[in-house]
Amino acid sequence: MEDLDFLSDYYLFLKEKKEEGKKVIGFISHDNIPEELIDAAGFIPLRMIFAGNDELMDASHDFLPPSTCSFAQSCIGAFSIKPSDYKFLDLVDYFIVSNHCVSDICASEIIAKYYDIPQLSFYVSYTKTDNSLKYFYLELIDLKENLEKIKGFEILNQDLMNSIVKYNNFKKKLLDLSNLSIPGSKKLELLQKAILFGPEYLPKLEKILQSQESTQAKNNSKPILLTGCSIFINDYLNDLIEESGGNIVFFDTWVGFNYYSQIFDDNVLNSSNEPINLLVERFKNNIHGDHSVPNFLETKISHIEEFSKNYKSRTGKKLGVINHIIKFCDHMSIMSSHLKNRLQEKGIQVLNLERDYSRANRGQLSTRIEAFLEMM
Amino acid sequence: MVYNFIGIDIGSLASKVVLISEGKLVDYRVERSTFDFKRVGNNLFNDILEKNNLNKSDVFIMSTGYGRNTIDIADDRITEITAHARGAQYFFPEAHSVIDIGGQDSKAILISKKTGNVMDFQMNDKCAAGTGRFLEVMAHALEVPIEEIGELALNSNKPSAISSTCTVFAESEVISLFARGTSKHDIAAGIHKSIARRVAGMAKRIGVAPLLVFCGGVAKNIAVKKFLEEELGFEIVIPNHPQLTGAIGAALIAQEHNGN
Repeated sequence: MEDLDFLSDYYLFLKEKKEEGKKVIGFISHDNIPEELIDAAGFIPLRMIFAGNDELMDASHDFLPPSTCSFAQSCIGAFSIKPSDYKFLDLVDYFIVSNHCVSDICASEIIAKYYDIPQLSFYVSYTKTDNSLKYFYLELIDLKENLEKIKGFEILNQDLMNSIVKYNNFKKKLLDLSNLSIPGSKKLELLQKAILFGPEYLPKLEKILQSQESTQAKNNSKPILLTGCSIFINDYLNDLIEESGGNIVFFDTWVGFNYYSQIFDDNVLNSSNEPINLLVERFKNNIHGDHSVPNFLETKISHIEEFSKNYKSRTGKKLGVINHIIKFCDHMSIMSSHLKNRLQEKGIQVLNLERDYSRANRGQLSTRIEAFLEMM
Repeated sequence: MVYNFIGIDIGSLASKVVLISEGKLVDYRVERSTFDFKRVGNNLFNDILEKNNLNKSDVFIMSTGYGRNTIDIADDRITEITAHARGAQYFFPEAHSVIDIGGQDSKAILISKKTGNVMDFQMNDKCAAGTGRFLEVMAHALEVPIEEIGELALNSNKPSAISSTCTVFAESEVISLFARGTSKHDIAAGIHKSIARRVAGMAKRIGVAPLLVFCGGVAKNIAVKKFLEEELGFEIVIPNHPQLTGAIGAALIAQEHNGN
């Protein structure tokens, strides 16, 4: 499993920012939170991309029954216990309650309420109709005004535009990273660190990318596309996949494609469009995110099929899909059978891997992954 | 060149070792796994070698099962999913599906008719419901030897309704049924139906179809077979040595990997 020393660096990074008068705005990571607005206000967005364990899940049971999303349990547990690696959570000034799913709302509200963190809200519609886009615009304005109240002065259009450009360049670099043929573990580690530190990680990332260009994944490893739930920081799942002879070549998840795919074309950025409208436009075009009803699943299936075909023609290798389902994530569980059946009809092998963060089921998970790779 | 192949299947409850030569089962051993998988596996291995006048250098060893990684004498290892699929075809070459109910897990496997390889599989979650352990706990609650609980269940015309989702709750249900005066055979039938319902539900999700081979230690229980057939809606077959399917599959894969 990855070395967590960088989390101490992250603590120092946030502490330094706070000493400069900046606020830390936490939220459960999903692809529709406009971190550019937070950045334009001069604040630091902190995406909750941390995996759990038995201890963190148990700690959440003061608030949630064990039959709720393991990730939501772990987020609450992280604030409850604040393990030494996670002491940066002490630095969170505000927490955004959002609605990626019901668990997101509940966990965020519990974190804000019981750990005395002032709450901001940002609710997102599931559709992309004209009314939904108007609503998204109003939510952006609302969040902007709330951030301005905290800041004490207005967020200027130019500041927001600068942030949009900054994040756009950052995401383009993550796209470059995703195209490298480096081992999945290295790719994941860089994605996680970059998303955590944000655009300030860019110079370091560029340097690392240059040194990684010659690093290749093992030739005999079996290529995997990961979809479903992300592999978050401090999770052992990627280790199990690599120990079993697999290699994740594409992360079709929050920590991965869902994040860095939201890029503006340069001509859009150069248009005279108001920056806030650019964010609305991006939400409208975000067809890969989970908030894209009614075509979310069909889009996902087509996208995986296309990637799989391209990968095969590029490398000659057939790709397997691991659909990672965190236990009691209704959103992912309900779709899993349909996703698997549809992809299998197209000749793509799929493993629906349901699990929680317990260490006890490592052996059984390993058997499922190994059997899937043998099947491939 | 090696012509003898050993399959070592270390399950959570039972360890099985088989010797295969020229594609045929020559000898086998079965023992409870206890807490020391490595010791039990090595003892069974040494015993089978000794009885067949073989040395370690005369055999190729393939380990499988929950404890496959603990067997350091193994030349290679393979998951129990792949091993069971291959073992089932040893007994029934036309096998298209497998249900394996072991001590602490159950699995359903779909085999390609074209290639004989695994096409899909499903395993139960970390839960004793639908496993051999569930039957052991229930036999204990009914105060019936595990070997007799299947026969007892077949005497029932009116199986009791038992939860299929949790061993602990199911045990409480059994005790309360007992207290209400429900007969042992009706409770036993309810228990078997509950296992069958859970395992069949899992198997249907991957589209199992005849010819379905039922293996693992629980396949020795005739009531589970009967209720599984009812739930699935077709007849299923059981090999002569259902508990050895994984070990035989591992040995056969070892043989194939060695070009025999």
